[in-house]
Amino acid sequence: MGLAAAVVLTASCNGSPPRARVLPGPDAPGPVDPQDAQCRSKARDPGRVTLHRLNRAEYDNTVRDLLGDTGSPARDFPPDDHGFGFDNNADVLSMSPLLMEKYSHAAQALVEAAWARGAFGACVLDPAQPEPCARELLKTFARRAWRRPVTNEEVERLVAFVTLARQHGDAPEVGVKLALRSVLVSPHFLFRVELDPAPASTAPHPVSDLELASRLSYFLWSSMPDEALLQVAEGGHLHEPEVLEAQVRRMLADPRARALVDNFAGQWLYTRALDSAQPVSRYGFDEPLREAMRQEMQLVFQEFVTGDHRLKDLLDAPFTYVNDRLAAHYGLPRPGTPAMTRVELTGHPERAGLFGKGSLLTVTANPDRTSPVKRGVWVLEQLLCKAPPPPPPDAGGLAPAVDPTLNIKARMAEHRANPGCSGCHTLMDPLGFGMENFDPVGRWRTKEEGGATVDSSGELPGGKTFQGIVEMRAVVKQDPDLSACMTRHLLTYALGRGAEEEDRCTVRDISQQAEARGGRLTDYILAIVRSDAFLRRRGEAEGPKP
Amino acid sequence: MNRTPVMSRRTLLRGMGALMALPLLDVMRPRTARAATPAPRRFVAFYTPCGIHMPKWTPGGEGAEWSLTPTLASLAPVKGDVLVLSGLDNLPGRPDGDGHHAAATAAFLSCVKARKTEGTNIRTGISMDQVLANAVGKATRYPSLELGIDQGKGIGNCDSGYACPYANNIAWAGPSTPVPKETKPRAAFERLFADFDPGVTQEELAKRKAYGLSIIDAVRDDAKALQGKLGTTDRRKLDEYFTGVRELELRVNAMDGAGPACGAVTAPADTEDVREKTKAMLDLIVLAFQCDLTRTCTFMLGNARSQRVYSFLGLSGEHHAYSHHQRAQANYDALVKIDKWEVEQFSYLLQRMKGVQEEGGTLLDHSAVYFSSEIADGNMHEHKNLPILLAGRAGGAIAPGRHIRYQGQPLANLYIALLNMLGVPTTTFGDDGTGPLPGLGA
Repeated sequence: MGLAAAVVLTASCNGSPPRARVLPGPDAPGPVDPQDAQCRSKARDPGRVTLHRLNRAEYDNTVRDLLGDTGSPARDFPPDDHGFGFDNNADVLSMSPLLMEKYSHAAQALVEAAWARGAFGACVLDPAQPEPCARELLKTFARRAWRRPVTNEEVERLVAFVTLARQHGDAPEVGVKLALRSVLVSPHFLFRVELDPAPASTAPHPVSDLELASRLSYFLWSSMPDEALLQVAEGGHLHEPEVLEAQVRRMLADPRARALVDNFAGQWLYTRALDSAQPVSRYGFDEPLREAMRQEMQLVFQEFVTGDHRLKDLLDAPFTYVNDRLAAHYGLPRPGTPAMTRVELTGHPERAGLFGKGSLLTVTANPDRTSPVKRGVWVLEQLLCKAPPPPPPDAGGLAPAVDPTLNIKARMAEHRANPGCSGCHTLMDPLGFGMENFDPVGRWRTKEEGGATVDSSGELPGGKTFQGIVEMRAVVKQDPDLSACMTRHLLTYALGRGAEEEDRCTVRDISQQAEARGGRLTDYILAIVRSDAFLRRRGEAEGPKP
Repeated sequence: MNRTPVMSRRTLLRGMGALMALPLLDVMRPRTARAATPAPRRFVAFYTPCGIHMPKWTPGGEGAEWSLTPTLASLAPVKGDVLVLSGLDNLPGRPDGDGHHAAATAAFLSCVKARKTEGTNIRTGISMDQVLANAVGKATRYPSLELGIDQGKGIGNCDSGYACPYANNIAWAGPSTPVPKETKPRAAFERLFADFDPGVTQEELAKRKAYGLSIIDAVRDDAKALQGKLGTTDRRKLDEYFTGVRELELRVNAMDGAGPACGAVTAPADTEDVREKTKAMLDLIVLAFQCDLTRTCTFMLGNARSQRVYSFLGLSGEHHAYSHHQRAQANYDALVKIDKWEVEQFSYLLQRMKGVQEEGGTLLDHSAVYFSSEIADGNMHEHKNLPILLAGRAGGAIAPGRHIRYQGQPLANLYIALLNMLGVPTTTFGDDGTGPLPGLGA
């Protein structure tokens, strides 16, 4: 790229105008973070995660792995709310009577279907003496469903359902099925339970190996631990660093790690919003195109889960996946198949990386025109974690074009002329201008719809200029906050809680470690899994009584 | 709990497919409904997002002398059943800094200022529909019914540092417990009618109850054993679980072979067309009241900051984008089209309710039906002079057919008045409710 110095974007658009610092060249020492010393000395607070109800994806994946049921029963559950950008945020995953009813219905249907498939093990319920088989079956099932060994007392309580059925003149299997249903609506199944030895103490302590196993499996698979992981945890070895790393690598290589693509990337990169995108009809957007765009983003990210790419290369990775339809849409050579095919982007640098993906470009546009503001905000928020505050009252959308021959940049000049707006818009708009060669559905263009020539140049706070998407993304890629920001999103997702100011040093440690080890997604994941925030927790001081 | 009857009403409906009206089966009438009893009072809250373009909303004239504006034109058939209430404010809806839509939606029925957080320790107040449900909900199978059109947004933050529950829920069982809404008409229908099984014997019914209750006992024991080992916040989560278990228990105990007394019952199809879906949900509200399955219902026509594209109105932009109108005529025109459509939906609900005859009047006569948005003008994010309609007579407590202008009274006072007339004596509500709003009665 040949940028002699990277421009550092600062987010201080509130009050003072944004400033840019110009970094010295790569050989010079890095900027001194005045808080570095603080991070060196300060003990890390691992924080605490609220009792975590399984969200819809976790429920579906868990019953898939537990019972072999792929019917996605959670499809009928009320939608999960999300916090800090992810729908696995334990604090906002509430339980409600409606959901409880759905769990109860689902448990019955799941048990009946799985029973009919013979999913519960090999022993036969002897009508004369069903208890031994029932005991074995229920113990095995509850251990897996509750993701921990069960006590004898718990097993006996489950077996008591067989007696209950007998009292009502029913066969033993009726009782066993009732017990199985109760396992699936128990809080031990529906919640990921982590216990503090002293719930009111804020002293950090390690999570148990079994709790750690669930943390791992719900992070990487959005599902329950498998037998191998459960055994390692029961043996008390999971907290050993080499064992932990081996498990992470094994799990990432497993097809279940696809959950990271669907659930983490789907929300971080906004791919999920593609479902509800409604570009106006003149753009020729349709379901096959939507599907191709979705798969493209998924397949590219999947390569980052399993492959050897640096995570930062998401911004400009020189390959993608297209089928004939998407290739034509992009102006790339057609692979000659309706199936998604990996292609090198030699000769098409504009398509490399995230910013060239139809999915992202569509969900950050308005239905009927591009939105440099939305695109700019996406970059700032999802990649650099310095989203500007939202517009003040009486600010808002772009006024209708008075002169359609003016390009959008000229029409947005008001953002920068108005002192109340310029602070933030000088930060947001240029990044969006850099993407202006992509229309609202991600097609390459050199003319705007009104006929004006696209101007994809931008001037960043501090005076640094760029021409077009290739130079713009290089600026973003070199931003020193990129690594920490990616860490912050991944950590938020991994823990199911917000990464907040108290986690600043943890985030910094993780991103430094991950970059030092090669900067692959795997390196980030391993650094997170080794962090105190992941391995430990604490209770909370008793709040004031209401 | 057992929902696999041999030939339940539900199975029957399923087999017959969607949109198949069934004749009223006498066996489904509960015995008690055959006697002439006074009709209960009902409440609906109808939420619509992104405010209203007020110049085309506010009627000219006052008292009984008022005229329908362009936005309200579709209310003509029910004009005599509607109160337009101008000049009410919901100041607890004002956010800290930005986040007007989420903060005001959280306060829509709670009138309590929401704590600004993206997801840690969310807090607003109990909503008035849930206060009502707690007081009168035991009389019916469902204490309250929460319906809506849109699932969550699915990505990003909901509104400027306010967590998504604030933006996606208007019903709050407690300060930290949103009550999620059902957004699929078919699922809502099946939930309402799932437990009815006319073919079942009393003996079988007793067994089902015993089994259902024994599962409930078992999981409650599990939860109790956990309770003592948890910290404050976790215990609060577990409390939500206990509430769910308790309601499940009520449902099992109320299990009955006989069904509700209703007119012809229609099983709606699931659809993503907002017009059909809205109609189906509103039909379900009428049905649920008609069958006396619940007496309290909330409905969200969209979530806060809705980005719906109303292409069937000839519009290509998103609702929220239009609501930041910047005083541009084109945006005003778009907003008026959307507002009119919203009021048409409300009018449809009122007309359906007016069409149901009960002992002593129509269903609408026995109800209070409330329509509003979280804000007034979407550009300025005004929390004053909200767009409010109140329809029905609440069994005689309301004298509709008028336009009343207030001078900045708290919206919470309207809720106090409504709670009073629906059978909940209270003089305070939310952050700023001081007493019942005067003037609603005859």
